[in-house]
Amino acid sequence: MEAKKIRNIFTAGPVEAAFIADSIAKHSTKTSIGGHSIFLGQVRADLMDGKQVEAIEYTSHVDMALEVMATIREDIFTRYALTCMHVHHSLGVVKAGEICLFVFTSSKHRKVAIDACSECVERIKAELPVWGKEIFEGEGYQWKINQ
Amino acid sequence: MIEVMFFGQLTDATGVSSVMVEEVGNTDMLIQMMKQRYPALESSTYMIAINNAMVTENSIVTPGSKVAFMPPFSGG
Repeated sequence: MEAKKIRNIFTAGPVEAAFIADSIAKHSTKTSIGGHSIFLGQVRADLMDGKQVEAIEYTSHVDMALEVMATIREDIFTRYALTCMHVHHSLGVVKAGEICLFVFTSSKHRKVAIDACSECVERIKAELPVWGKEIFEGEGYQWKINQ
Repeated sequence: MIEVMFFGQLTDATGVSSVMVEEVGNTDMLIQMMKQRYPALESSTYMIAINNAMVTENSIVTPGSKVAFMPPFSGG
């Protein structure tokens, strides 16, 4: 079997809005695309026992995460007729209100793009060795639990 | 030597993110060794990966391996 191509998906700190806009703009030359689907994960300022989440600090088993992502990517491309797919996940501190996950799928038609994007997000949350530490305003933290 | 790595909340239980250990036969033996060294692991939930591949049963740990102790994932 051909070796999977390992691509970096990690960004230090938040995914900036300008980066997302630029990423959309870059697709204007790919004129076979008829639909894009974008998921943006944003850090929530949850309130727990009177303490508010100020930021999430992400860590990962990076080389394993990139291998797992390559497998997810290959599987999604096998099952959905995508033109392209881009994934960016934050590492380090991302403040409440900032973007920590950007998944972008493109296809000839909308349904394929939407379904592939949705599956990709679910699998990232379930399968990627990434952990979020919810840092409270003032002091203290708790480890994030995915719903 | 074997490199044992801890992630997420497990680093609260161990106080370290990685440790080198002498040869150990399999993952069950390694888990016992780590629980003796870091008793707080006893009450922790984790999965194990050897050289980036998840293992679900007791598995042989060959010298030079990197073994990861990982709590439930919480990315995104």
